[in-house]
Amino acid sequence: MSVKLEKVVQKFYDSLEEGKIMGRKCTKCGAMEFPPVYACNSCGCTDLEWTEISGKAKMHSIVMPAALSSKPEYKALGQYAYGEVELEEGSRLNAVVRGISRKKRKELLDKLPVSCHAAIYQRDGYKTVVFDLDEDQ
Amino acid sequence: MVKLGKYARSVSIIGVGCTPFMYTVDNPETDGLTEGELFGYAALQAMEDAGVNPQDVDYYFHGEASPLNGSNYLTPNVQIANWFGMKGKGSIHHSEACCTGYLAIEQAVNAVASGKYNCVLSGCVEFGDSLAIGNHPYKREKMTMDKFLVTTAWLYDRNYTRSLMAGQELIYDDAAEWYKRTRGITDQEMDDTLNWMCINNRRNASVNPLAIERRTYEQLAKEAGFENVMDYMRSPHNPKMGDFLRLGGVELKCDGAAAVVVCATELVDKYMGNKSHKPIEVLGVGSAACEATTPHFEVRATEEAVRQVYELTGLSGEDLDLFFANDFIITSHLVSAEIAGYLPYGEGWKYICEGRTAYDGDRPINTNGGRTSFGHAHAASGLADLYEAVKQMRGECGERQVKKLPKTTMLRGYGGAQNVAAYIIRTIEEG
Repeated sequence: MSVKLEKVVQKFYDSLEEGKIMGRKCTKCGAMEFPPVYACNSCGCTDLEWTEISGKAKMHSIVMPAALSSKPEYKALGQYAYGEVELEEGSRLNAVVRGISRKKRKELLDKLPVSCHAAIYQRDGYKTVVFDLDEDQ
Repeated sequence: MVKLGKYARSVSIIGVGCTPFMYTVDNPETDGLTEGELFGYAALQAMEDAGVNPQDVDYYFHGEASPLNGSNYLTPNVQIANWFGMKGKGSIHHSEACCTGYLAIEQAVNAVASGKYNCVLSGCVEFGDSLAIGNHPYKREKMTMDKFLVTTAWLYDRNYTRSLMAGQELIYDDAAEWYKRTRGITDQEMDDTLNWMCINNRRNASVNPLAIERRTYEQLAKEAGFENVMDYMRSPHNPKMGDFLRLGGVELKCDGAAAVVVCATELVDKYMGNKSHKPIEVLGVGSAACEATTPHFEVRATEEAVRQVYELTGLSGEDLDLFFANDFIITSHLVSAEIAGYLPYGEGWKYICEGRTAYDGDRPINTNGGRTSFGHAHAASGLADLYEAVKQMRGECGERQVKKLPKTTMLRGYGGAQNVAAYIIRTIEEG
């Protein structure tokens, strides 16, 4: 059995403290699991290797925060939106993308997908991953 | 890719029961009602409807989205069987949050289709608007929004989703963004569509005595001094709560219970005795689940659940006469009906804006009023929708009876960040 009882979640967050954003790449089909888990959701293989992601990504959809979909803590993010983000390595996830105002959203809608890049963001007690809109967008 | 197999034997719905959906603590007549009383009422009504005695029922499934939070129970199924004459019978509790009542039918059908049991009850109860007070035997207190939001956060993955901040926030608007972008409609058209779904749901609820909110938006608009209902819907009386979502498109969380009795179709005559209504066969249940970091989780899971059940049954959206969607975020109503092909691709929003999806339209959806008007007693909502579907298919809905007696109905469940079920039921014709 190739699966090991290991602390994937803690390692992911420890890596963020070291400035690295890590995923787990399937050794069989090459799919990237991000955020990292035990098994490949593309082919089912359990032999995954830790891989630092490049951070390059595309944003495919844009939803602005509103009364129901924001929290006081999120003010520290500045201007931001939610959306579907595709990593250069192929994995897709729902994520926060900073640098998007309502006015900017209007400009971006005709250009989707737009380029963004991953960033490490400090929350209360731990670091997490958000994305920043690329400056040329 | 999942391929559903045929059931080992056919299973049919023979009885349904449902309480009114209520704010129990707000009304002296209902304040003090308990889990056993709500579930017991729905269960006994379903058994009476089926023509069976509690002693005829072999096993029961119990659904409650949040028994620890709402009822101070860890094993809620054990505590209430004696309320409906099933003391000593086997049972199991399950929770898939707002999808519980939809997967409740699957539990019952599988138990009978396997051959293990011949007749099974499946019921759900929820106090979505109140909390048990300590060890007091019946007193409850109002569930504030702050308390509600504490536990709804627990619907989301603690390892990643809550940390990444997006998945749990996208539930309100992701489907609307997806629909608007992929169908190429304007912001105004999307807003109008969301508002018309509220209006249509409320029209349905206005003629449903079990619904929690029966005042039509036309009445509310008039009372607020608006001549045109759409002016009211676009006004601060119906404020934007999300990027697209307005207040009227959000669930009315409340208290209630519903239940269903199923049996092996080959044994219908034995169980139903002299009951005259036709049994309704469960043709199949498709299911999928996507945690909330998954982009467009509702769309993706609905597409998969619908694909499964259509592949199994050989049916398509054109074969459906009636459609239900768990629309606690009202956009679900549009998105799932189009994915299922009940409304044509890219045209569903027009059907809604023309009122064609209200109970008196040609493509009725959520004839009970849906989550924004019938109410949302979380686990119980799915079986409340099944109750309405069965009553419509029997022609027993009186004023809100749809024009053409439905023979085939799809119910699309959704909830729990996020489970999805899509199942099809069909009336068995005599002979």
